[in-house]
Amino acid sequence: MTFRTAMVWVWFDWRAAAVVDEQGQIMDLEIWQGRMSIEEAMSRLELLAASALTPEARRLAERFPEASVHPAGAVELPEAEYPLPSVEEQEVADEAALKLAEMGVARSAGDPDRRLEHLMGATDELRASWLIYESRLVEWVALFIPQARFERDRSALAGKVADSASLAELAESLGCELPEVGPDESEWQVLKQSGERVRTIGRELERLENASKELAQQHLPSLSALLGPLLAARLSVCAHGRMRLARLPAGTLQVLGAEKAFFNHLKTGSPPPKHGHIFMHPWISRAPRWQRGNISRTLASKAIIAARSDAFGGEVWGAEQIGEVEAKVQEIRDKYPRAKRG
Amino acid sequence: MSGRRGGGKSLSWAVKFENRGLWTRNAVAGTSVYGETRRKFSGSEYRRWDAHRSKLAAGMLLTNNDPSILLPEAGTQILYLGAGHGTTVSHLHDHLCGKDNERGGRLVAIDIAPRCLRDLTHLARSRKGLVPILGDARKFTTWGALIQRRVGWLFQDVAQAGQVDIFLSACARFLAPEGLALLSLKAASERFSDKDEDEVFAEVGQRIVAAGYQLVEAISLAGLEQQHTLFVARRII
Repeated sequence: MTFRTAMVWVWFDWRAAAVVDEQGQIMDLEIWQGRMSIEEAMSRLELLAASALTPEARRLAERFPEASVHPAGAVELPEAEYPLPSVEEQEVADEAALKLAEMGVARSAGDPDRRLEHLMGATDELRASWLIYESRLVEWVALFIPQARFERDRSALAGKVADSASLAELAESLGCELPEVGPDESEWQVLKQSGERVRTIGRELERLENASKELAQQHLPSLSALLGPLLAARLSVCAHGRMRLARLPAGTLQVLGAEKAFFNHLKTGSPPPKHGHIFMHPWISRAPRWQRGNISRTLASKAIIAARSDAFGGEVWGAEQIGEVEAKVQEIRDKYPRAKRG
Repeated sequence: MSGRRGGGKSLSWAVKFENRGLWTRNAVAGTSVYGETRRKFSGSEYRRWDAHRSKLAAGMLLTNNDPSILLPEAGTQILYLGAGHGTTVSHLHDHLCGKDNERGGRLVAIDIAPRCLRDLTHLARSRKGLVPILGDARKFTTWGALIQRRVGWLFQDVAQAGQVDIFLSACARFLAPEGLALLSLKAASERFSDKDEDEVFAEVGQRIVAAGYQLVEAISLAGLEQQHTLFVARRII
């Protein structure tokens, strides 16, 4: 074959491939000879979706090595009378496309970002209702047993209410005296049920958090090691996925969750927020106020590196890397032991 | 003449204007797609086309021209980029294909979100002629093999930055001569511009004309959609 100076293209779709020149002349043609089945059409459409070559296209590309190869739909291809599928072939392809779409939808269930989103959403909703039920229970019990004090340990209360057969038994387990007036029998029953509910929801919350932790540790191992799995999961969900989180600047990660304060800052010039969800981290929430901004900046800049390491398949952070970050945070603590005056 | 018109008026074999709203002849009688009202007109069941949820319907109510020119020809092949949950797609299917695809139309609907495709694939199972594709509307090569013949009608509603570029190259690649292309443009999606809405819309109109298309109309959807304009372009050659 002689060398050509003119441009040549290989066009291909799921069932055919053609070599075409600048005038739109078809110079060579390969049509798939195999048995037309939906499965086969699916695998070929998948090749196209993955920007790979079909066997026909590969053969023509080998025959015309100087040609530039493009699948149907590419903007680069010239106008030409490309071979069109018959009505039956088009029907097969349409059915294959629908099946592929269904497979793609089913596959999206494997996306840990979507799974984390549901886990975190369910946790938040359940926690909100648990808090409401629990505070009602505390007030309710305290109405009948005014002596009882729960500051120390409210968590055991639900179990005690649920396990008591009567108010007298509850008072005893709380170490209090039984007052003169008490609830009716039916009233006590619903109070008891309310205790059972608080206990059940509390347990469910625990299971939910364990599931979130487990998934976050698989999906975001480095970020989980640095910030804890729940905070890592929250940041990832807030950024709408691990890949999006990894592409954020550190400053954005730092204020994720403080959108209200942040946009208020942009709008009115109020002081910018120092921290968003990242405040949950004990290095920040337990730090004295004047160190928090500084520490959260440092932590956010390291956290975004950990997130990128997770998203792009980097090394998983271990005690060594975490130790380095902690040393930096310690430096800040040592440098500013006291609040600036004035 | 005002865009809103009263009294029953037929816009196509399956689309009519009745009771100050649009209705399409239901291709799957007895079912609603998104909770819309159904009603019988002279023996056949129609579904109400909610203009608050479909930018195409909003455009048909608010256009200054004949609303029927915004519709594709029944029984042809059309391309829909950014199909969403299938609200507009279902009504287009009513008109384009009809019951069991009696008109022989083909509606290729593309969306990138698996959540949307879940609804679309369910829709496609009961509506022959609808071809849903899970893919990126910007990457023509990943699904272009399913659009072999150029289409006479193209709709794009992707609400992302660079939507005009996508629209113009999709038209260049897939729109037949004399074909109609509709772009639903959200001003807020053109992120990095500090221009106001009207300037954004004016600039988009100029770009469509500069690319060699006839700008039939730019329909502001104010009142039914926020910050949206529906551009209607016709390919001249």
